Amino acid sequence: MPFAASLQQNLKAVKAVLPAEDILVHAFRAGDGTPCAAVYADGITDKKGIAELAVLPLSRQEAPRTAEALQKALPYPETKLPQDVAAACQSILAGDALLLADGVAGAVTLGAKQAAARAVTEPQTSVTVKGPREGFVEDIKTNLGLIRKRLPTPALRPETLRVGRHSQTAVCVLYLDGIADAKVAEAVKARIRAIDIDGVPDSSYIAKFLAQKPLSLFKQAGTTEKPDILCAKLLEGRVAVLADGSPIALTLPYMLAEDFQSSQDYFVSPYRATVSRLLRLLAVAVSLLLPAFYVAAQLFKLRLLPFPLLMTISGSIQGIPLSPGLELFFLLIVLEVLIEAAVRMPKYVALALSVIGALVLGDTAVKAGLVSSPAIIIVALSGISAYTVPDLAGTLSVIRLAYVVVAGSLGTYGIVLMTALILYYLVTSDAYGVPLLAPFAPLVGKDLGDAAWKESVYALRTRPAALRPKNRTRLRLVYRGGKEE
Amino acid sequence: MNLFWTRVLTIAAGVLLLLFLSNDFGLIDIQKTAVVAAVGIDAADEEGRVDVTAQIAVPDASASEKAGNVTIKNARTVGDALAEINRKTGWYPTLVHCRLIVLGEATGGRDVFGVLNYFLRSEFVEDSCLTAMCEGRAEDLLSADSPIGELTAVAVTKVLSSEAQKTGLVCVTNLRDFAKGYYSPASSGFLPLLSALPEAESEGGGQSAALPCAAEEGGTGQSSKEGGKKADVFDASRTALFAGGRCVGVLEAAETLAFNLAATRTDFAYGTVQVQQEGKPVTYELKFKIRSKKVRLTLDGGPAALFRVRANAQIADASRASGVVEIAKTAFVPDFVLRAAEETLQENLRSALAKAAAGGCDLFALRQKLHRRYPAQEERYAAGLLQAAQPVFDIRFDTVH
Amino acid sequence: MDKIKLRQICFYFACVAPSVKFIVYPATLTYEAGNDLLLAALGSFLAQGLVLAAVFWLSSRTDKTFFALLQGAFGKAAARAVYGAFALYFLFSALLPMLEQRSFVMLVLYENVPSVLSYAPFFAVSAFACSKGFKALGRAADLALPLFCTAFAVLIALAVPEADFGALLPVARRGAGIFRGGLFGLNWHAECAYPLFFLGRFERNKGDAAKVLLSFAAGAAAVLLFLAVFYGVFEDIAVLRQNSIAHISKYTTAFTSLGRIDLLFIFAMTLVNVFALCVPVQMCVHCTHAALPRCGRLWPALAASGALLAAVLLLNYSFLEMQQLVTQRLWAVFLLFAYAVPLAAALLFGLREGKARPAPRRRAPQSRRKRAPRSHRGREQARRIHPRKCRGRERARRLHAEKHLRQKRARLHTEKRARARSARQGAPARGGREEGA
Repeated sequence: MPFAASLQQNLKAVKAVLPAEDILVHAFRAGDGTPCAAVYADGITDKKGIAELAVLPLSRQEAPRTAEALQKALPYPETKLPQDVAAACQSILAGDALLLADGVAGAVTLGAKQAAARAVTEPQTSVTVKGPREGFVEDIKTNLGLIRKRLPTPALRPETLRVGRHSQTAVCVLYLDGIADAKVAEAVKARIRAIDIDGVPDSSYIAKFLAQKPLSLFKQAGTTEKPDILCAKLLEGRVAVLADGSPIALTLPYMLAEDFQSSQDYFVSPYRATVSRLLRLLAVAVSLLLPAFYVAAQLFKLRLLPFPLLMTISGSIQGIPLSPGLELFFLLIVLEVLIEAAVRMPKYVALALSVIGALVLGDTAVKAGLVSSPAIIIVALSGISAYTVPDLAGTLSVIRLAYVVVAGSLGTYGIVLMTALILYYLVTSDAYGVPLLAPFAPLVGKDLGDAAWKESVYALRTRPAALRPKNRTRLRLVYRGGKEE
Repeated sequence: MNLFWTRVLTIAAGVLLLLFLSNDFGLIDIQKTAVVAAVGIDAADEEGRVDVTAQIAVPDASASEKAGNVTIKNARTVGDALAEINRKTGWYPTLVHCRLIVLGEATGGRDVFGVLNYFLRSEFVEDSCLTAMCEGRAEDLLSADSPIGELTAVAVTKVLSSEAQKTGLVCVTNLRDFAKGYYSPASSGFLPLLSALPEAESEGGGQSAALPCAAEEGGTGQSSKEGGKKADVFDASRTALFAGGRCVGVLEAAETLAFNLAATRTDFAYGTVQVQQEGKPVTYELKFKIRSKKVRLTLDGGPAALFRVRANAQIADASRASGVVEIAKTAFVPDFVLRAAEETLQENLRSALAKAAAGGCDLFALRQKLHRRYPAQEERYAAGLLQAAQPVFDIRFDTVH
Repeated sequence: MDKIKLRQICFYFACVAPSVKFIVYPATLTYEAGNDLLLAALGSFLAQGLVLAAVFWLSSRTDKTFFALLQGAFGKAAARAVYGAFALYFLFSALLPMLEQRSFVMLVLYENVPSVLSYAPFFAVSAFACSKGFKALGRAADLALPLFCTAFAVLIALAVPEADFGALLPVARRGAGIFRGGLFGLNWHAECAYPLFFLGRFERNKGDAAKVLLSFAAGAAAVLLFLAVFYGVFEDIAVLRQNSIAHISKYTTAFTSLGRIDLLFIFAMTLVNVFALCVPVQMCVHCTHAALPRCGRLWPALAASGALLAAVLLLNYSFLEMQQLVTQRLWAVFLLFAYAVPLAAALLFGLREGKARPAPRRRAPQSRRKRAPRSHRGREQARRIHPRKCRGRERARRLHAEKHLRQKRARLHTEKRARARSARQGAPARGGREEGA
């Protein structure tokens, strides 16, 4: 519906679309007495800005006769001319203010969005000892600003799309032109455009639609809460997706090796980083396989345990009513319950629960002969190890349970087969033309230096080949250790 | 993952979980298993039958090991005896952690592979386990009180450790090596001969010089710790020789040492030498570091076994008072002591070779060497090789400079 | 199209294929050839190498698939018939290794008596792998490389101190045994037929044959080393040690405080073996899919795996009989499908393709693809010979080129912005590329 020249008709049209009580109309007069009005949504609009930069200047001058003239007359930094009433209403709902004047067959939207936002703080999910501490917040504009601050290059291409029939959430697709594979960016945009859902509460919703295998147990998109990591991934040739209302940015294409990398790795010596990566790899293996091998060893393959250890375990499990498989299975379930409760409970209850968890479930259960102490040690070690790669912890806990069930039913060969199945699944999973298990399978030798281990910054001359970046050169080496190349 | 595979996996996971939670598959888990740490085999009174003793490691709640010996008398085979353990005790014996097989003295009178082949047939028995023969009955040996730990098997395996082999005191053999010898053209082998020395009998027991001392020390230590409880010590310094699976002779401690110095993995050994010095007999204890060793078969001018040993020697002790300078120069061994040591080694080797040849035991694998190096002449020499082979010694001990 | 990389084919021959020869093969070979087992194995490897060389010679002369070659020469029906026959052959060739692995699993990976169903889940894994085509095969080979290398190195390192290589003497005393060992071991040397089905499915480059043959030689060397160590460790009782990989390294670890640490590496090798056992089934599914494209991959994968599961259940207690039947009576099947047909195909189609049209242009190797223009080659060569002398000139040339590029880019950028501004007011400006093109 187009705008009319009458202010009252326009206001009526807007109120017809937005009858809600939090849509306020501020009526005022221009310098020549022409009736004008500002329409905005209460609570998400910067009223002070509208008053100072729109209402006040207009009330001191003659009312313009066209929408374009009205736009030029205002010293407001962010203005737009909506095509029709429906578009204007969408802007109001997004936090903009709509400026109308009698006799003007049009309107101007003022970018006055001012949602309550928390300050930029260090995200709790990725704390660093050394390195930047800024984290994304729920406001997409703030997040874009944080990225722009780090990448002040014209090659950075943000494109905002609206997703959600009711939520109309702003979803921004970002990439570096000339570096990222444009086909991936286009594919991401096409998939986001194709989303037809009523609302998008978080970026994880978008991730589901971007996934090649939505039912997969494994993540299909990289996630980060830190702008420095996001910028590094953009520079590697990935495409980022930000969603308004979510502090978690998505990066695509995703490779499993990403989760074994930490931002810290790039700030410490490559040797230290390599050790850390190998430790993470080992910890993941321990987390997945240790409970399973413990069960399989007791049920099917005693030879796996050295004789003194066998005697120790054998001594401590005497009188335990559960079979080794069930014992581990239930302990792992208890561990998951404890983690779930610890995440959700109020902080002041946490101390009490940790006492209950440690004493009652640990010590007392052993004394009561319900579980054995080696089983508790195994479960604790496995649980702790999983959190060396926090992004994978959820997936690991499910697979770990599956491994215990398989080990308890099929023994060591079950473990081998389950590993083969998982590996076959992973090697045949591609997303946006990039294999999930790259650079290991398919083997991309040049990329191993920042995956299996960490080479020095001098060695990382090219971007990951698996991502097929347009421009592969990352580092042009002029000096190295005082030598000119 | 497409919908098909998702459904398949969901169903499979459900079935597996149901099975897992509802049943333990009748598995013989760790709680139902008797971990056999050692097996002793004796010839039964009845001809062709065996008495099998299984030493079962029984952990208690404090996770320490206790031995429980179960003996099955008059079993037809070893496998039969182990099955009977299950029938009588309800425990399922597992031999995967069996570290020791002890053959009683009487079993040596017939082909021991009649009882040992059980261990070679089964994949669930490790042929890496130590194998030994003992004086008397294996059942008694496994019932001996160990001075080291609760399990006799653990104590015996320490006596038969690879460290003991390296010092030349014991000829350590595992089941694989013994079987290799038996199934080789030589059809020969050797086993350490174990004997348990009770503390009461340890004085003047007539064994090698070192052993009674060891028994005394062990006994004293044990007494002080456990309020006078007597313990047995184990000696394996003698070696039983086998040909065609039968015991055909025994090498004494000195011959065992000589054999080890010349032909096995011993690279560091102690030996005693008696010499006349200023008209009095003096005993030197020498420490040897073997530099190289080789036993070769040559057929030039008739078969000959060539023993080549090169070692450095050092005085560890002497039975006479020495001057301060002499003690300070302890690394230096007088030439006459070295020559005497060489002579002793030659004598002991000659004696070992003669004993083995008399019993038909190819102790130094001469038939194997003939087969490998002179296959064309194997037919000609194989039959009487052990008797025909003349020992030639090229032994040289040097002092440490 | 079902693609595979040449690198993955190389890895398959170097790391995946040898793993199936570490179970029963050494003991069987010892039974036939005694201490001359190395000669018997070497003969088999040489024969396989010959077939591989012939197939890759054919590959250098055509970019068609084997199916297309057959279709071109004999028609589609014949091509389908040949693929159908090969599908059956691959199914048959998968059976004995599976029975072998089942026996290995039951005896080595379990200490109690497991149900025969304990092995059944393997067929779910194989069905899944087969439904994914050559991608799963190739990438599994990529993963197998580090697994195999680590496990093999550790197991051999643990076993070598126990091995007496003198046991391999005297050499070549069992002529008939060596021949029998080679002939009866054909089912363990049947993978040389696979490259026939990789034809036209990998990017061809110069030197492909050399790379594959080198990888094959590496795999063969690993097997020969294993056989030598195996015989050195067990000598006259080698024939008793059927599951050889599980035994060779246990003597070093038996009395250590860590216990049988070698078992972890045996499990890793078992994993590689699972990948290896899936390959013939994958080839079977590939052939079925090529012969009957309408049925897709999933149903042939399920059918093949199901058939093998049924066969394994049926032959649960007949491993030795099956082994004797397959190795001692049906060796001609392997000789025909794994050796004769690939050789004949290579000769027939190689000559035919060569006559029919000139050999296809090969892509230059990566190192030569971005070669400098002919006019620059002299300079490049000079730079390689006198790097210091040419570095200054080289840098000046580069700086000049960059400056020129920057100027051009700035000019274009200004022009574009002006055009854009005039076209539509306020539209976002298009930034230049961050780095040079």
